[in-house]
Amino acid sequence: MSSLLPDVIALTLLLAITAYSTAGGVDFGAGIWDLQAGNSPRGREARALIDHAMAPVWEVNNVWLVLSIVLCWTAFPSLFQAVFASLYPLFTLALLGLVLRGAFFAFRHIADDPRAHRTADLVFGLSSLITPFFFAATLGAIASGHVGTTGPSGSVVEASFNPMSIAFGCVSVAATAFSGASFLVGDARRYGAVNLVDYFRRRVAVAALVLVVVGTMALAVIRIEAPDTFRSMLAGPGLPFALVTMVLTPAVAVLVWRRAYSWYRVLTVGAIGSLVLAWGFGQSPYLLPGRLTIGQAIAPPATQAVLLVIAVVLVAVVVPAMGLLYYLDQRGALESPEA
Amino acid sequence: MFFMVWLAGESALLPSRIQMAFTLAAHVLIVPLGVALPALTLLMEGIGLARKDPVAIKIARRWSVVMAVQFAVGAVTGTILSFEFGILWPRLMGRFGAALGLGFAIEGIAFFLEAIFIGIYLYGWTRLRPRTHFLLGLALPPTGVLGAVSVLSANSFMNTPGGVTVDAGRVVDVNVMAALFTRALGYEFWHFIIAIYMTTGFVVASVYAVAWLRGRRDRYQQLAFAVPFTLAAALTPVQLLVGDLSARALVQDQPAKFAAIEITWTTRDHNPEVIGGLLDDAGQIHLGISIPALDSLLVGYTPSAVVPGLTSFPAGDRPSVVEANISHLAFDVMVGLGTAGALLAAWYFWILLRRRRLPESVWFYRVAALAGVGCYVAVESGWVTTEVGRQPWIVYGLLRVADAVTTAPASFVWTMLATLVVVYAAIACFFVILLLGLAARWRREDRLHPEAPEEGVPYGPRPETWARS
Repeated sequence: MSSLLPDVIALTLLLAITAYSTAGGVDFGAGIWDLQAGNSPRGREARALIDHAMAPVWEVNNVWLVLSIVLCWTAFPSLFQAVFASLYPLFTLALLGLVLRGAFFAFRHIADDPRAHRTADLVFGLSSLITPFFFAATLGAIASGHVGTTGPSGSVVEASFNPMSIAFGCVSVAATAFSGASFLVGDARRYGAVNLVDYFRRRVAVAALVLVVVGTMALAVIRIEAPDTFRSMLAGPGLPFALVTMVLTPAVAVLVWRRAYSWYRVLTVGAIGSLVLAWGFGQSPYLLPGRLTIGQAIAPPATQAVLLVIAVVLVAVVVPAMGLLYYLDQRGALESPEA
Repeated sequence: MFFMVWLAGESALLPSRIQMAFTLAAHVLIVPLGVALPALTLLMEGIGLARKDPVAIKIARRWSVVMAVQFAVGAVTGTILSFEFGILWPRLMGRFGAALGLGFAIEGIAFFLEAIFIGIYLYGWTRLRPRTHFLLGLALPPTGVLGAVSVLSANSFMNTPGGVTVDAGRVVDVNVMAALFTRALGYEFWHFIIAIYMTTGFVVASVYAVAWLRGRRDRYQQLAFAVPFTLAAALTPVQLLVGDLSARALVQDQPAKFAAIEITWTTRDHNPEVIGGLLDDAGQIHLGISIPALDSLLVGYTPSAVVPGLTSFPAGDRPSVVEANISHLAFDVMVGLGTAGALLAAWYFWILLRRRRLPESVWFYRVAALAGVGCYVAVESGWVTTEVGRQPWIVYGLLRVADAVTTAPASFVWTMLATLVVVYAAIACFFVILLLGLAARWRREDRLHPEAPEEGVPYGPRPETWARS
């Protein structure tokens, strides 16, 4: 039991990161399509839908991020120090994107002047693009082995900006665009915007294709840069998750393309979640490949016990409360006159 | 190449301290209403439900919008702070995360529940039954208080650390209860919780004091002024008492901080209480009013009570003279404003209880209109007092600020700070524009027709009709 506890806590952290990647990813993806939509009449319609779909729950997604950070520094203090001391440029850029995104999302609701509105749209869209890029880049940098136990193994620049971090960043942009489009198909259907269903249906297919291509390229990069992680991802505990992603991504595209509108959103979450889990399990039992294991970095036993309680509370209290929010959200939408 | 040059540079201690102070100062302005406005809103909704009073319901509904906007901004400034722990102070969490992190981990849960229930509360005005809506809302004040107590637990750990066994700079064992409930938590908690409820009451009331001064005298104005003002005014004398107890506890728990607050140079009896005034490097006090033996009297109830002085601590382990002066003046501002608040509260209750009506003096409402700003200044001052007074330690006696700072070059942190200043200025603008816009809209609505006030803000329900522009 006691030897299992550190793994359970590491899994909790990984699941929090996964939850942020999937829930937050849908939001970021919507922002990316907002940027791509342009100012044509159809584009404006798409942007109105995106705005409409995001409004009520965008802060709740953000909480997963904060939770991941506090879990990391409490459960694995030395990991937290090592990662931030090595990769602070990436975190700073991601943070900047996150803040600008929130601020300009709010701002475009109150901007009356059309020019100011356009600027707000642009900043919102661009920050939706760079934020998932830099967050995922930190995971790539960790997997690349450039993060040492007390700081970067080389220079901070080398640790932060290398083929692995950039590859992870690119995969993340493709993945968020894919999940964003998939959920926007659902939102368009919910509000009965028939032409927008087709608009986002095409985008699901394109994004799935891009994700498969970029993902394959990223695998090639991982093979060259981090052969051990590559082996683990394709032969070790990461394999099932990698397979699930590879199967589900095209499956979602096919479902949506054939207008089979059931399960596609669940499968989207499965595809993106498995992508993150493939990285996490691919690295296990290492937090920093080859340098720091879960067992070495874990906080003292008393802290572990509290973290376990927190994980249980999360499952027992927060998840049902969140379910209630989504339930009320969905029910309200069903009651609206347009549905 | 340019990037490499930019990344090289000297220690980032100064810009990191400035950045942390700046971002925390901003967050501290958002926190009071973020935590305490839900309770006030629910109180108003409860009054509305119990008395079947549509005016009270309307007020509660409007406050809930401000509450959501406050929470959204607080979520942003809070997220920035959590990243700064890693970007600016990686060695603080690297060393003490296993203990200091516990409070934040609990706060993570509280924050989660708050975000969810604020969404439900704001969303539910029209779609839930009034009673259900009210009962679901009751989840908000406890989650707010839980969040506050867990963050204060972390802050108390920094002031009076306990519950950790340190070996070779590493925390090898944690006593969870002792680390979560350190000595300072008792007084920090009560002092802070009362402060944020007081601030929320006075700030909200000040808006309607201005409305009174502009000539609005209807039931809406009366109710929206009287409920928050009565709450805040009732808490003010309690706060003076709790504040006094907190300061007294510092003599034992953080004597160097107490010496800085009172700018006492040498440990002595018959120590005077200096109001205002500045300490110089030689230990002389300039300006200010000195009341003989009062400090000793306040600490030990007798003029011969001995109080600690700064020079009892090695120069490297105590606040510098500049830091002591900052801490001292901030403390005086806080106590001065608290006393002014108590006088205002006495005035209010005198009229209320003797004449059984709200005050009608223009001067009363002028002062009440300033009480909100006064509270914000007092909260900032209190925070400056405790944080600057702890210097040079980030964890009192265990880890220095200079030893926790990032290895990032100063140029990097200066650039980040400059960017954040611009971003915060932008957020502040949006925030003010949004609130003024809401106020203007509500005034318009009151003249024309009632409409759901919470549409078009973060957490708000989707508008019923979706405009295809």
